[in-house]
Amino acid sequence: MAITSHSLFLLAGTLYGLALLAALAPDRRGLWAGMFLASGLAANLAVVAWRYHQAWPMLPMHLGAVALPLCLGLLVPFAASKSETAMARAVRRILLAQIVLLAGATLCFPKDFYLPFLKSRTLLAHGFLWFGLAGKSCFAVSTAWALAALPLFRSAIDHRQTAVAAMHRCQRWAALGFALWTLSMFAGELWSYLGWGTPVVWEDPALTLTMAAWFFYAGLLHLHLTRLWPLKSRALYASLGGLVLLALTCIPDFGPFRAPF
Amino acid sequence: MNRALFLSWRFLGSINLTVGLCLALTVNLIWGYFSLNRRTPLFTPLNDMGLIPWMQTYGVHNLAATGWFFLLMILLALLAGNTFVCTTNRVVQLLTAGSDGKGAGHRKWLALKLAPHIMHYGLIVILVGYLVSYLCTNVLTGRTLVPGFPLSLPGASGQVTLLAFEPEYYQGQRLAFWRNEVIAARARLLLDDGTAKQEAILSCTRPVRFQGYSLHLRNFAPKSQGGMKMKTRVDLYVRKDPGVALYLAGIALFTLGLALYVYEWVTHREATTE
Repeated sequence: MAITSHSLFLLAGTLYGLALLAALAPDRRGLWAGMFLASGLAANLAVVAWRYHQAWPMLPMHLGAVALPLCLGLLVPFAASKSETAMARAVRRILLAQIVLLAGATLCFPKDFYLPFLKSRTLLAHGFLWFGLAGKSCFAVSTAWALAALPLFRSAIDHRQTAVAAMHRCQRWAALGFALWTLSMFAGELWSYLGWGTPVVWEDPALTLTMAAWFFYAGLLHLHLTRLWPLKSRALYASLGGLVLLALTCIPDFGPFRAPF
Repeated sequence: MNRALFLSWRFLGSINLTVGLCLALTVNLIWGYFSLNRRTPLFTPLNDMGLIPWMQTYGVHNLAATGWFFLLMILLALLAGNTFVCTTNRVVQLLTAGSDGKGAGHRKWLALKLAPHIMHYGLIVILVGYLVSYLCTNVLTGRTLVPGFPLSLPGASGQVTLLAFEPEYYQGQRLAFWRNEVIAARARLLLDDGTAKQEAILSCTRPVRFQGYSLHLRNFAPKSQGGMKMKTRVDLYVRKDPGVALYLAGIALFTLGLALYVYEWVTHREATTE
């Protein structure tokens, strides 16, 4: 059987799934989870490199769905570092679950049939893609911390400090994601101006979702900085809203259904 | 009158309004995605016609698909007002509180404290730039350059001539679908303003500026070596856009504020969240 980018990504998805299963195992399987994750990342990196090889110096079209699990996987060791607490483990599991869902959706709804176009032969196009992916990954980590913090609000007194610390992490990742997302938008606007003469190209509906995510996280940062809402409400906003936004911003990179096997 | 102004200022300066607007804009833009998807031909003319003619034609007559866009205009106008009032209030407070200090350390402290406000002013400049762009841009559609036929631009004394179309054809093996196709389009233009002549290179992401206009490559021919021979032709987007300088300045301002903010965040801040 010939190795194709699809079969490689299928392998990556399977390894991500195994990493999640190992992380969910009741006894300590951290080493196995790490090994499966690292192998999955290697396979995923090969797919991204392959797609780039077939398009460089132009931008591979709709690479986002394939590259997002890679970016998110690379963040897992940093997302819940310096501690082996239950909270850190929960965050890692949530991140792995997000990676598996993303990889599964990409396998079932691939959009790898578009050829690159000449106007994407600029560093601004690549900056737009990679800053955006890094930003979205940081948003996903922020969402994971907020989701992990949610159950703590049921017993308000006992876990108050843990919840505060988790939401602090959530805020920091959201701020980092916001900065990267903004850089991605600016790179996109400059690219659009140089290529089409206008900063907004209305042919691409995805731009509205990009702006929606920007305003959503601008709102979240204002809520955190002003402490306008109680912590629990902010956690709900960051977790559920973050999940919805993450799903929506991925939609433009998914194509029609195709059986993965 | 003064009281109305004061009340408006206070209403616009509310942080609750900021959060409400951010949420409303998020929901509105998600609605926009589903309206825009598969109906892009309704919105594409916006780039060429400008805002007002588009609203009077495509906009008003397709409200089910364009309603979100009208709401977006209102929300963005409110956000610009809200951002201006909030930021100005805070900047005045900061400058008043910081007026006593002296020295480089104080200036650095002030610059770092002003970082988020620089970003906010940057956002306003970007929004104003977009508005000016969509209201005042003069777009010339259907302009094509062919060798030997100079192009005149309205209100400009000079002419643009296509000297040569010098594409680079892909000859490698890696991009199978691109073999013998143009991989880099490059047009050499002669810009003659009546007093002096100069050459300029136009490519896919490298526009040429001439007498207030910017010329962007829209399409070209021939596209490949061999096959059906097409006559040399370069199609252009020609735009006179007074908003460009504004939104580029806004982007620069926002990026400066962001850099200062990140610097402060990394080196100083260890905020609590509760």
